[in-house]
Amino acid sequence: MLIRTPRPHRRAILRGLLGGAAVTVALPFLEVFTDGRAHAADGGFPKRFGLFFWGNGMQPDRWTPPDMGAGYRLSEQLAPLGDLSAHVSVVTGTHVTVPNDAPHGAGPAGLLSGSRLVTRAGGDTHATPTIDQVIARAIGTTTRFASIETAAQAHPKAMSFNGPDNTNPPEWVPARLFERLFGGGFVAPGEERVVDPRVRLRRSVLDAVLADGNRLRAQVGRVDRARLEQHFEGIRALEHRLAALEADPPNLAACARPGAPPADFPPDEAGRYPLQAVSRAMGELLVMALACDQTRVFTHVFTDPVNNVLFPGASAGHHQLTHDEPGDQPEVAAIMQQVVTEYAWFVDALRAVPEGDETLLDHCVLLGTSDVSLGRTHSLEDYPLLLAGSACGALRAGVHYRSPAAESASKVMLSVLRALDLRVAEWGVDTARVTDGLSAIEA
Amino acid sequence: MARHGWCFGLLWMLGACGPSAGTDVPLPPDAGEAAPDAAAPTPAPPLEPGPAAMVRLTRAQYQHVIADVFGPDVVVPGPLEPDVALDGLWAIGAGSSTISPRGVEGYEAAAFAIAEQVAAAPAPGVLPCGLGQPGCVEAALPVLGHRLWRRPLTADEQAAVLAIARDATAELGSPRDGLTFGLAALLQSPWFLFRPTLGATDGPTRPVTDAEYATRLAFFLWDSTPSAGLLAAAEAGDLARPSGRRAWVEALLDDPRAARGVRAFFNDYLKLRELDALTKDPAVFARYSPELGPMAREETLATLAWLVLDVEGDYRAAFTDQTTFLNRKLAALYGVPAPAAEGFARADLPADGPRAGLLGQASFLAQHAHPVSSSATLRGRFIRETLLCGTIPAPPADVDTSLPEPSGDLPTLRDRVAVHMTAPSCAGCHQVMDPIGLGLEQFDGLGRFRETENDTPIDASGALDGVPFADARGLGEAIAAHPKLTACLTRKLYSYALGRAPTVGEAGELVRLEAAFAASGYRVKALLAAIALSDGLRTIAVPGED
Repeated sequence: MLIRTPRPHRRAILRGLLGGAAVTVALPFLEVFTDGRAHAADGGFPKRFGLFFWGNGMQPDRWTPPDMGAGYRLSEQLAPLGDLSAHVSVVTGTHVTVPNDAPHGAGPAGLLSGSRLVTRAGGDTHATPTIDQVIARAIGTTTRFASIETAAQAHPKAMSFNGPDNTNPPEWVPARLFERLFGGGFVAPGEERVVDPRVRLRRSVLDAVLADGNRLRAQVGRVDRARLEQHFEGIRALEHRLAALEADPPNLAACARPGAPPADFPPDEAGRYPLQAVSRAMGELLVMALACDQTRVFTHVFTDPVNNVLFPGASAGHHQLTHDEPGDQPEVAAIMQQVVTEYAWFVDALRAVPEGDETLLDHCVLLGTSDVSLGRTHSLEDYPLLLAGSACGALRAGVHYRSPAAESASKVMLSVLRALDLRVAEWGVDTARVTDGLSAIEA
Repeated sequence: MARHGWCFGLLWMLGACGPSAGTDVPLPPDAGEAAPDAAAPTPAPPLEPGPAAMVRLTRAQYQHVIADVFGPDVVVPGPLEPDVALDGLWAIGAGSSTISPRGVEGYEAAAFAIAEQVAAAPAPGVLPCGLGQPGCVEAALPVLGHRLWRRPLTADEQAAVLAIARDATAELGSPRDGLTFGLAALLQSPWFLFRPTLGATDGPTRPVTDAEYATRLAFFLWDSTPSAGLLAAAEAGDLARPSGRRAWVEALLDDPRAARGVRAFFNDYLKLRELDALTKDPAVFARYSPELGPMAREETLATLAWLVLDVEGDYRAAFTDQTTFLNRKLAALYGVPAPAAEGFARADLPADGPRAGLLGQASFLAQHAHPVSSSATLRGRFIRETLLCGTIPAPPADVDTSLPEPSGDLPTLRDRVAVHMTAPSCAGCHQVMDPIGLGLEQFDGLGRFRETENDTPIDASGALDGVPFADARGLGEAIAAHPKLTACLTRKLYSYALGRAPTVGEAGELVRLEAAFAASGYRVKALLAAIALSDGLRTIAVPGED
């Protein structure tokens, strides 16, 4: 992707003077425009997007709330939302409308990229960027980090794609994320900024690297040119990050340098990986990264597709249970409550940050979803979709909408994009393409 | 990736896996299926060169290069861009993936960390001059750039990097800073992070340059960059002659760094890289700890490096040999005497014991299993797909896959998976995986030997493509004798060398290499040399632009 407009000055953005940063994305071409509201929403707070992803789906009959609309009653699996349900909309009954030809892979590609998975022996990929990157290209151009990817699971898979064979690998060690976000270069409100002369020199190094790269680019074939262009995009993003270090930091009231997380997270008392503790440590850093306007887009992989995580209390790995547990799978159901508990933790943490008369949550969309709906059969029907926050009132919060006619889940994605002020005419390709959002969740 | 327990009804209808056990699973259509057992007198077709993959350095290669160029004490901070597998290999993923924004950040941090260490305390011989001497930075950077980019820098490139160094020296005050910034620029360049193979001439097929060939050899055989000596020899034309090439390939294979190369290949091919993430339920497996995965990998890599390079043995013996390398923890897991000292030591397993070869090692048995139990399907799938290069299609969606729970009627896994082996909707694919995996059921999900499951004796007998076996050791012998085993290794090693899957035009080359492998008595060292010297490594196709 080439960002064709020069980086606007931060103050200009806060005054809402940015009109239409045109960006292009790789394959297919999709014109994305934003208007000023994305950057200076009501009250001057930017809109943000987060994705909370978990693997192995859910159980639709235990997931779907029993009634529709605002004030819906909670289902068994959504019970951990509790009072937060007033801030969380639930969409059920939609389908991910791509061929279901790769269990656990077709769903994320179809939903998050709006395209059919590219299936290859020993290494699938997405044909098109994931929604977080489409959003980051529109609303992430002014912050230090266009997007941040994290995971709670150790050795995670990337769920964020810039394009084919180009992922954004998630950070799974909280101490490393802390160093990246709040280590060298971060200036908290009230702290004096000292511009290190090395920052300018580092930028000139990157300029030289780009020049070298262009000489190479001229000598290779089409496919390798595209790979190099993606590399160059990352170099430009780093230049931008260094330039942000030299500019005045955003001064947001809720921003404070968080405490450093522990270097290690010991196993839980049963000797299992401390998934919850790591997820929450990541969450605290992500929430503060939003509050400090270091980024406006994040993807948190709570667990991978096909993960065999040993959840507390479970007698086997999650994926194995979804297939092997007989009957109505009470162990899988108990795991789902743990997953929703961690989604609810994020919602609550966003709500705890005041921004003006509202909260950070009010300025967010936090999408919660998975790789399948019913894990046992790898179904893409009746897909799990949670939306917390209203994106500054653009989405209806706290409603349950059940699609009566198996609409495409792509409509939800299009509604999210529009709620974040991306002026897009459509989302998805081929069978996943839609031109209308889901009006029931739009304010 | 626990793909277990799927029913493959649709695939069976399509015949994708074949309805009966014992059928050969075909290699992919581009795989050079012409195996030497065809006994056909027609000569293999000549090589049509394939395209050159522009390979990105893997994480391990990056570290090896830094150690080789700047000395083993230089610390490379992480995280670098993760490696991704394609067609089962990191080596192929490195030929098609790119560098993410996060990766750029990691490479920048690593470049400065390395450059600062080198500028502060260069190891002997790294710099051509003392940093205090006037003009040393200007002299050193072109030399280092030549080594790192594996070719001399052009005048423009030299001028650019020296300008950075001058700027940094002036701004920060010392030549050390100039060297740091100049070196950091060299280390972030795509000329360093990727290995471009552009060729020596124009035209649709062309020879690679001698320096590019040296680079391919070094990364193939050492998992690292060419030594200064090899690069100089290439630039002097030594590799243009067959005798020169042979001499250098022999020298590379006799160098201690060849062990690093052999380990890198098997780490990738056998998916041992995934053992870092090995997770077992400690409540079920008391002997599990997070170090077990890396230890199990070390056992397998030490065994293979020994077989390939120290004794130059027959690859097929890797599945039947009882020589291995154990530390105390693995010895305890296997129930054999512990080595006398800390660390790994060569061990010969009891001749009358149940365990032999790679399939008796925890690296295989524990990895291809569930966190709480064994898995005949996962073990069978690895043997079928990875060791024998068969294809098992991804299972279809929308099928109920559950297995019955253990019970009085169904005490062992063999009883429970019977549903997948007999139900017509499941048997097509499971018949080519589960019967092999059931041969290993006397090893639990961590690799401990057991004779019973739920107080019932385990039946580990079966057949691999018509060859009967009684237990795991018999299965190892059947795999060693399987006609696909050595052809599969040939194909994977060739792919690994090139950073891409073979093309149809390389089928004949694979046949010739497999024949050379056979003629050597299946010595992997001989196959490494044959691939290193093959035309496939020295010629590339450059297709016209679409």
